This record gives sequence, structure tokens and C-alpha cells, in this order.
Amino acid sequence: MANQTSATFENQAMWAGGRSPFNLSYGKLMMWIFLLSDAFTFSSLLVGYGAIRFSYSGSAIPWPDPSAIFNHFPFMHGYFLPLLFVSLMTFILILSSVTMVLAVEAGHRNSKKEVSKYMFYTILGGLAFLGCQAWEWTQFIHDQGRLDSNFFGITHQGYDHLKQVKFGDHFHWNPGDRTWGPVPFASLFFIVTGFHGFHVFSGVVLNVIIWINTIRGTYERRGHYEMVEKVGLYWHFVDLVWVFVFTFYYLI
Amino acid sequence: MGNFAHTPGEYDPISYVPHVESHGTKELWKTFWLLLGITILDFILYFSLAPSMFRNSVFIFFGLVKAYYIVGAFMHMKSEKINLALCILVPTVFIIGLVMGLLYEGHALSTY
Repeated sequence: MANQTSATFENQAMWAGGRSPFNLSYGKLMMWIFLLSDAFTFSSLLVGYGAIRFSYSGSAIPWPDPSAIFNHFPFMHGYFLPLLFVSLMTFILILSSVTMVLAVEAGHRNSKKEVSKYMFYTILGGLAFLGCQAWEWTQFIHDQGRLDSNFFGITHQGYDHLKQVKFGDHFHWNPGDRTWGPVPFASLFFIVTGFHGFHVFSGVVLNVIIWINTIRGTYERRGHYEMVEKVGLYWHFVDLVWVFVFTFYYLI
Repeated sequence: MGNFAHTPGEYDPISYVPHVESHGTKELWKTFWLLLGITILDFILYFSLAPSMFRNSVFIFFGLVKAYYIVGAFMHMKSEKINLALCILVPTVFIIGLVMGLLYEGHALSTY
């Protein structure tokens, strides 16, 4: 009985002021709330994507199969390698998430040297991802994908051609395989991956700022590396969004 | 009880930063290998299953599993207070419900 009373008292006292009910710093709580609002934004893009894509089911020129378009790999020109490059990009982003969380862990031990080392790796991972995305965009634009037009309306002949191609084969489009297709496919590709890429870019900028501050000893003087945790949350969120872009844009 | 060590008079909402101990890197690397494994599984399933609603459901399920591990382990949600976890995760469940509802409605566009 006594235990129950003290538990109730503690629960009330938690919200009675004079302490942080979440046991979080102000900045970290605000970062969580920002990430929640950012999740709203990306969900709205997902809803728009899904609704538009559904509206093309049963149309004469169907929504293109992503593996028909994103099947290139750097230095492997002319080979049919769908999904391989995007999987590599996913791997890069997951790896940079790990180095980020290692930086956070090193921050808990107040190890300036390790925090700056892992922040540097994280920045490299982010830049590598952005480079991959730039390459992917270049390839798609080269194949006549535009914000306002899309040359990936794949005809029956084109799908018959694709059925004969196996992973790793030589592949080039024949005349008549492609025609002008659903415009929103291209616009949504640029908008969704561009919006995510811009988040990655902002994340890299934030990481660079935190990295410089770490090297300059700002957090050592402050006594804690909480700022690393805050940008870490943002960075992991960017990784999280990519998981869903990968699922909905490339797998489904 | 460590969270209540400070007396109310000392608490400053703006400058308060809780002290966090390191939990080591073992769990983080485990999560990394798990995420990598699921991504490879995605890759294999993409080529071994024909496109179907079942395959799509599997990919979405894998996406949610990855999300669970990223939020839980990398973003330390597992070690946060339950108050915070509910504040962030309950609205997320509502978002997922909204997305599913709107996608269902979007499907009606194809019959239009």
C-alpha cells in the first residue's frame, strides 16, 4: 500500500513542474517534435505518390516498372543491373547511420578524438550518398526523364524485351520499346528523391558544423556532447525516410 | 530514481541536460548487421518473387521492421522514458492510418 502511494505521488510530481517530465533537454525534445512534423511532410508525398500511381492502373500506357529504368551501375554501362545501385546507396546510408551513432556513443564517454573521427566518417558517407544520387539523376535525365515529361511509357514490345533480359545481361532499348509515358512518374521521382536528398544535404551541413565545433573543443568545454545526439537524431531520421523511399519507389 | 536526484529549485528547463552513460557499441553493430541482412533479403525477394500484393506486403513489413530498429536502437527510443515514446509514436500510428485510408481512397481514382 505504501509503495502504491509513493508511486502515485511520483507520477503526479513528474508533471508538477521543477523537473523535465521526459527527462530530456529542451533541444532534444524539440528535435523529436520537428522530426514528427517532418514525418507528416514525407507521408503527404507518399499519399500523393500512391494516389497518382493507383490512378494509372489499367491505363493503356502503364506506370513503368522501376527496374526497367533504374538498372544502371557506374562503370558497368550497358549491363542490366536493376536495384543494385539503389541497394548500394541504402548500404552507404545505413553505414553512415552506424558511424553517427558511434559518434554519439563516443560523446557519452567524452572522447573528443573519437567523436571527431566518427563525425568525419558520417560526413563522408553523406557525401557519397549525395554523389550516388547525382549520378542516378544524371542517368535518368540522360534517358529523357524530366520534371514535365517522361520517356518511360513502356510498350508491350518493350515489356516483352525486358522479360528476355536477365540480371547482368547486356541491355539496350530497341526502337519502339518506349514511348511517352506517365508524366507524374518522373515528376514524383525528382520531387521525392530531391526532397530526401535535400534533407541529406542539410544533414551533411549540420554534421560539418558539429564536426568543426568538436574539433575546436566547444563541446569539451561545455562538458557534454549533446549536440552530436541532436544532429544524430536528424541523421537517423533521414536514413529512416530513405528506407521508405527505397521500399515504395524502387521495390514496389 | 536517478532522474529525480536534482531538487526542484535547481531545475532550469533551458539548460537542463540529463547525464547519459555509454551502453557500448555491441547492440549498435548488431542492429547494423540486421538492417544489412534485411536489405539483402529485400534484394533477393525482388528477383525471386513475381510482383504481387503479397510481395508488396512483405516489402512494407520489412520497411517497418527496419524503422523499428532504426528508431529503437539508433535513435535510442528504447532507452527513453515511456512518456516521450508515446508522444512520438502514437501520432506516427495515426499517420500510418491516415496514409492507408488515403491510399484506399486513391485506389478509387483508377475506376474513375
